Amino acid sequence: MTGQPASETPSGGETPRPASYYHLARAVLVREFLLFVRYPANALGGIVVSLFFFGLLFYGGRMIAGQALTDSLEGIVVGYFLWTLAVGAYSSISNDIGSEVQWGTLERHIMTPFGFAPVALLKGVAKVVRTFLTSAVILAVMLLVTDTTLQLPAVTIAVVAGLAIASVLGLGFAAGGVAVLYKRIGNWLNLLQFGFILLISAPAFDLGWTKFLPLAQGSALLQRAMIDGTRLWEFPAVDLLILVGVAVGYVVLGYAVFEAATRRARRLGVLGDY
Amino acid sequence: METQERPQTSADAAATDDPPDDAALVVEGLSKRFASGEAAVTAVDDVSFSVGRGSVVGLLGPNGAGKTTTIKAILGMVLPDAGSVLIDGIDVYEQPSAAYANVDAMLEGARNDYWRLTVRENLRYFATIGGVDPDSVADRHERLLDQLDLAEKADEAVRDLSRGMKQKVSLASVLATDADVVFLDEPTLGLDVESSLTLRRELRRIVDERALTVVLCSHDMDVIEAVCDRVVIMNDGRVIADDTVEHLLSGDGTQRFAVASSDIDDALLARIRDGFEVTAVTTDGERTRVEVATDSEGFYALTDLLRSTDVALDSVNTAQPDLEDVFLGLTDEGEGRR
Repeated sequence: MTGQPASETPSGGETPRPASYYHLARAVLVREFLLFVRYPANALGGIVVSLFFFGLLFYGGRMIAGQALTDSLEGIVVGYFLWTLAVGAYSSISNDIGSEVQWGTLERHIMTPFGFAPVALLKGVAKVVRTFLTSAVILAVMLLVTDTTLQLPAVTIAVVAGLAIASVLGLGFAAGGVAVLYKRIGNWLNLLQFGFILLISAPAFDLGWTKFLPLAQGSALLQRAMIDGTRLWEFPAVDLLILVGVAVGYVVLGYAVFEAATRRARRLGVLGDY
Repeated sequence: METQERPQTSADAAATDDPPDDAALVVEGLSKRFASGEAAVTAVDDVSFSVGRGSVVGLLGPNGAGKTTTIKAILGMVLPDAGSVLIDGIDVYEQPSAAYANVDAMLEGARNDYWRLTVRENLRYFATIGGVDPDSVADRHERLLDQLDLAEKADEAVRDLSRGMKQKVSLASVLATDADVVFLDEPTLGLDVESSLTLRRELRRIVDERALTVVLCSHDMDVIEAVCDRVVIMNDGRVIADDTVEHLLSGDGTQRFAVASSDIDDALLARIRDGFEVTAVTTDGERTRVEVATDSEGFYALTDLLRSTDVALDSVNTAQPDLEDVFLGLTDEGEGRR
């Protein structure tokens, strides 16, 4: 790691240099990128399934609700875009932790001299970047299918949506920790994804306290950014502070649950016993 | 505990000398119970041993002896109820990041690496996770690939390799880091004879080249004999022996002698049993072969007894125990003590 003295190896005269956080970030992001481009079926499958459900929602809703649906179509597209982001980030991080336990690689990440927290954070960032790519494709198709126009201020969307799904990453860490402890409950935890629909819809209920739930504040601000064209610096500071606070709070809380769950798993001797 | 005059019992282990100053690993009073009440199982019971820097220690024991729990407790994967573990003098439970900075492990039954990445990508990834800039150890990685016969498969996804090759990749990814304390749980599991021979030879060479400290768990006695400087034998959660392979094989001066004759009847066999420790009796038609464990004086007493009864001996042989015999003898002894 940074700051450690390099040492001569007994053989070959090679001098191993300590890895820095840059090397760690590169390794984690490159691995994610390689898996993304080398095994595109998973990503494509996710895109197809998401669009299939959106198609059902859109065409089914239009048959039933007619003009009423068309009037709120922009909000539905933005909400669905955020939902695909949230589901992608949540399931990838919680499933990833479960897989790492099964493969025996979680232990190696826990033992890393960097500490597990930076590795987990970088993995989370990698998952978010990957999810943004697939959700961008979904958004583009939704706009084409519905013939809808939205504002797309890239920086504002990236920051607001990124902070919104950071809170979901926290839930993903917590779910991953619970899966480490109780094993094969991934399918049950995946049901939580449908709860995200309520969280994304929360601003519509106009209840003040819902701002402090995951996704809710981000959903409200993202609607304003993509429908009304509000830029990041045009939001009230309090709204942005709540968005950041909720993101940081749930990441910290989720990671704390993950830590507590893995500690309990170590106490029970079930870490890695899949 | 680096060099012992005789195999240690668990009581000896508890009363052991202070570990050597250069010990890379010191385990003291490690205990772990799972569940509680009537269902409670003591997996590890007051285990203490140390491993000197640059030495290879084998951890042996029957299934359920507590080897894997001990290794997992050392690695922090299982939190013990009591005891301490120091790696390079650092308490693993108080400062895990610092203690594990130069540690890596290959755990039994786990992949330990990413099957969707290529062999080379795994080496680079785990070198980085282990705290080493992978570019600075690229030459070492190439040597590792050569030494473990993985060079031709270096750019293939691990998932496409055979089980034996996957096992080698798992080992290579552990050795790809700059770790100087390495735990290997069943490294030759699933390998064919030739691959196992290659792996144990190369493992010993790499260990010597890099002065690695290794704790190796294996059921394969040949691997233990070929690679390890010392053996810690566990049974029922306790350390029942801790010694060099040579000392374990030479034991306490007792050897095994086998005498065979057609004149050994039940009465004579009973007299032999009364005076000697009979370890095996086999019959082949009228011929009976009796194996006893004794020293040279005992051997002369045995021949005197046979001569006094006018037995015509067909053959007299010495039977040197191998590590498996020693292991079985010690674990049987452990069973008897409980």
